[in-house]
Amino acid sequence: MRDTLRWAYALNQWNIRMDVFVRHEDQRRALKTLSALGFGHIELAAGTGRWDNLGRPEVIEINHGSPEGFLAFLRSCSVNGVSSMFWDPGQPVEEEGWAFRSTRNRDDHAAIVESAKPFVDFLAAIGAEQLVARPVGSAWMQPPLGRDDIAAIGEVWNSVGKVAAAAGVGLALHYDCLSAVHTADELRRLLDATDPELVGLALDTAELTIGGIDPVAFYEERHERVTHVHLKDTRYADTGEEYRMPGAETTMLRGGAGRRIERWFFELGTEGGLVDVKAFVAALRRHGYPGWVVVESDHGGNPAELAMLNSWYLQQELSVART
Amino acid sequence: MTADQLAQRSETPERRIKWSYMDHWRSNGPAGPVDQWHSHRTMSSFLKQIKAVGFDAIDTFDFRLWQMYGDYGGPAKYQEMVQDHGLERIVNIFHAADYDLRNYAPHVPETHENILEDFRVTMGHWSSVELDNIIVMPATLYYDMEPVTEDKLKISAELWNKVGEITAGYGVKLTCHHEFFCGIQSEPDIEVFYSYTDPRYVSLFIDTAQHCIASVDPVALYRRHAHRVSGFHFKDTRNVAAGDDHRHRPDSEIMAPTTGKWFYEMGTPHGLVDFEAMMTAVRDNDYRGWISVEHDKANKDGGDYAESTAIARWYAVNVLEKIYR
Repeated sequence: MRDTLRWAYALNQWNIRMDVFVRHEDQRRALKTLSALGFGHIELAAGTGRWDNLGRPEVIEINHGSPEGFLAFLRSCSVNGVSSMFWDPGQPVEEEGWAFRSTRNRDDHAAIVESAKPFVDFLAAIGAEQLVARPVGSAWMQPPLGRDDIAAIGEVWNSVGKVAAAAGVGLALHYDCLSAVHTADELRRLLDATDPELVGLALDTAELTIGGIDPVAFYEERHERVTHVHLKDTRYADTGEEYRMPGAETTMLRGGAGRRIERWFFELGTEGGLVDVKAFVAALRRHGYPGWVVVESDHGGNPAELAMLNSWYLQQELSVART
Repeated sequence: MTADQLAQRSETPERRIKWSYMDHWRSNGPAGPVDQWHSHRTMSSFLKQIKAVGFDAIDTFDFRLWQMYGDYGGPAKYQEMVQDHGLERIVNIFHAADYDLRNYAPHVPETHENILEDFRVTMGHWSSVELDNIIVMPATLYYDMEPVTEDKLKISAELWNKVGEITAGYGVKLTCHHEFFCGIQSEPDIEVFYSYTDPRYVSLFIDTAQHCIASVDPVALYRRHAHRVSGFHFKDTRNVAAGDDHRHRPDSEIMAPTTGKWFYEMGTPHGLVDFEAMMTAVRDNDYRGWISVEHDKANKDGGDYAESTAIARWYAVNVLEKIYR
């Protein structure tokens, strides 16, 4: 994309389970699709195991020899590089003994910082700018945040941010609609608990909207903290406490929240979309937002089709030049 | 034109080639697999995807005419929708006739008046839009024409000369597209056929995959007839027809016993078409105009039209446009 904003695309929608997005030719097809649509950078997502061969630095290196080899793989598809990588330290991984860690537990902090290091080093080696992290686990899996919890969460992210900054990588905390940090006030408190020099906010327009937070208004309020953006739309908002449903990942996001919602996330320009995409992007431009804007399909439908519809919207409705 | 636009124009060499997409399509929605003509919404989604990936225009089948009238108000109104999505226009229409031996067989003179009347009516229907080509398969199914004799080829050529004169009256070229299962598909028969046609009225439309399947080198064929080639379908194949693959009713693309899926997008691994040689030949002959991309039945065997279309466009940008654009 040729624009004052920098546009990237998240690969997560292609990787719907461990054995469907493994073959390099399948990955090349996704990369070529994005390249043809004008996206020169991609966002990766952390994973686990040998099948998830874009999900961990050591597995990527086994597949491509080195960070440079991985970049060469991307460039063979005319994708120039990686903008960012999403990582959830609360997601147990085989490589770390399926350890279950929580950022609100200070006893886990040292291990979380340690587990961030390979990702930071890898991102630095490939010239990526942001480690995009889930700051805290899902609300339904834990008691409500107490007075000291957000302070504890802020501490570990300051520590990770320090490691990342030393490597020249940014750290952006990603709000999601199931998170224990759920309300706008809780999000503000989390930002206030972190060092602005070390920790930014990854603002996801659809996740905030589902969570009941207006992304345009929140960006206007805290634009100086926003260092990463996920741009996508939704047609639905949480009607109240759906994010607290037991097993909300399955019962709410995939199971329809008891309202037969078949799909929460939609392409830009979708009919009935709740995100004011044009206003949000105008706000990014007005504030001279310097980071990546990562467009996501995120379990919405056919990945190639949604990427094409998103690109059309960028080109035709937001006046972004494809090449 | 602003100073910026002038500067941009001076930086961007004039394009000699524009890219159109022949509108085969399937997608999955709440109603299951549908094509783009299912609803206005699915049509809009299709057009957005074609534009997003960098195509300039579309081709379509002329049998969509009645749907265009019913759903959009006619070809001109449908073309307005195409243009509303950022595409230029409809460039070519494909005239997919049934080729019933009783009333529509180019090698059977008794059917010619019916065919000529079909084109008089068809061209009138489409006169509200600017077209470059009306594309035809110039013969019946192979087994309805065999044995293919010089006399049959001559009779067919004489028909298409007359049809071409009709279409030329509307400013549209009559151009022939040689499916591997049609009566005029081998290299010798193609050569004899064109020797009897009038270059003013009958053009050749090169389908890279169809010729490869029929064991005809599309690059050599193009180089021999470049002066009368009026367009291309750029698509790939991994298979050459064997045995009686070309003799199956209703359509060997679907029914040939050896191969379930004939067509692939440009850039497919193990493709038989030498697209770089093809584009070099296009450049050498200073061809200017439209190249159409096609990959009909791309959804077979787990394929996906959206992805195939994006990858074909990637190949055009990253390989072919480096040779000629």
